[in-house]
Amino acid sequence: MVFALVILAVVTAADWATLSDAFFRLDIAQGMFPEAITVALRNTVLYTLLAFVFGLVLGLILALMRLSSILPYRWFATAYIELFRGLPSLLVLFMVGYGVPLAFPDREIPGGVYGSVTLGLGLTAAAYMAETLRAGIQAVPKGQLEAARTLGMSHTRAMISIILPQAFRIVIPPLTNEIILLTKDTSLVYVLGVTSTTIELTKFAGDALNTRVNPTPLVVAGLLYLLITLPLSQLVRGLERRAARER
Amino acid sequence: MKSLGYSRRMATLATAAALVVGGLAGCAKEDTGGTTEGGVALIKAGALTTCTHLPYAPFQAPDETGKVVGFDVALVDLVAKKLGVTQEIIDTPFEGIKSGSDLNAGKCDIAAAGMTITDERKQVLDFSDPYFDATQALAVLTGNQVKTLEELAGKRVGVQGGTTGEDYIKTQVEQKSLDIEVVSYKDLAAQQQALATKQVDAAVNDLPVWNEYIKNNVGKVEVAAGFDTGEQYGFAVKKGNAELLKAVNESLAAARADGTYDQIYATWIGAKPTA
Repeated sequence: MVFALVILAVVTAADWATLSDAFFRLDIAQGMFPEAITVALRNTVLYTLLAFVFGLVLGLILALMRLSSILPYRWFATAYIELFRGLPSLLVLFMVGYGVPLAFPDREIPGGVYGSVTLGLGLTAAAYMAETLRAGIQAVPKGQLEAARTLGMSHTRAMISIILPQAFRIVIPPLTNEIILLTKDTSLVYVLGVTSTTIELTKFAGDALNTRVNPTPLVVAGLLYLLITLPLSQLVRGLERRAARER
Repeated sequence: MKSLGYSRRMATLATAAALVVGGLAGCAKEDTGGTTEGGVALIKAGALTTCTHLPYAPFQAPDETGKVVGFDVALVDLVAKKLGVTQEIIDTPFEGIKSGSDLNAGKCDIAAAGMTITDERKQVLDFSDPYFDATQALAVLTGNQVKTLEELAGKRVGVQGGTTGEDYIKTQVEQKSLDIEVVSYKDLAAQQQALATKQVDAAVNDLPVWNEYIKNNVGKVEVAAGFDTGEQYGFAVKKGNAELLKAVNESLAAARADGTYDQIYATWIGAKPTA
């Protein structure tokens, strides 16, 4: 009830002409294209995918280490996860972008900005994904491994052919959430310094806001983010429904 | 009885709606401001609130104790003194300062951020009289034999995002079709760090800024070239805030007349160029 009243109050109190002039100037929105798609959106997706793939591979290794029977492996994985899950992505990006070059002068992170982003966002993502993957592996019934071992498979063989495929199916929804979070975290990339070819959506919109002194670019960028994240959310929902039906 | 209950409920609803609308309107402007004896309205009583972006030495940067000091700070202190209040400094992104949104949103009374007066910015801000002649300079790591932008073909040049230095380089690159990759950093600190760690081959910013950096990092960086762009710095107030602007201009004029300006200049910038 109160919520409806607030909405009513906002709707009636707002000056719609001014608002549309501020947030929905078509000419300004049009001026942002095609670069908004061909450069900014493309880079946002690219940064997300690079960090995700890096994070997934490292995350899987960490998850297996955490479940390993070898104690130092477990220690390392636990320490890594606690450390990178506890640090803000921005701080890690600063570390990779400015700390590493200071610590290792004359050495470059391969791949330039793309390499730095992959490392900066991927290191954090790996910590989250390791926990997700571990939960997925542990969710596979114990009998599966025992059955595979009885059939004469080695532990590694059983892991690769029996456990991990099932685990991945379980963790697809949380991993998709991780992609959505990563997509938004790519907005931090601009602290590394960006060129007209490595710019991502948020900085792109910020620059357009600067030159046009009108917030329309922010709305455009927001819609473009939704263009990535909404289908992903839909996908998760679909997968969850399917999983529920199969059970 | 029923009708009474209905009307009472309606009255409650109307009150709630009025409260909500009133509350929303209230959010827009908090009335904690004050007016000085001279009739200058300030957003916060007893203080002249300044928006700036840190660090930007020697114009404004925190000293060892964390207190923000510099050329701009000293000049705005004079304005605050004239108004009988003290200066309070807010660190905020440069984008919000030069777009006028910080001033319009009532975040601060005045913007002092080593900001060049441009026609674009004049559309959203009211500038004071110029208080500093600025030139852009190209800084390189010591030993780098570069003297012109042309020699930087195929290299990366760092700029500070949203500044006139960035605009200047981008225009030069376009006009002369130079093969230079312009990398935009979020603030001066990041830009200087990028130069120091060789992520860019050269960097462009205001000359006094590089002089200050070189003073603190002897032998690491040198100024390779200057670009006389005819820029002048100005303080900015919210559009239409004529009283405060008048006070700022009077204070600047007085400082120039009685030698205070020269003193402050010598302290923060160094010897005055003979021109």
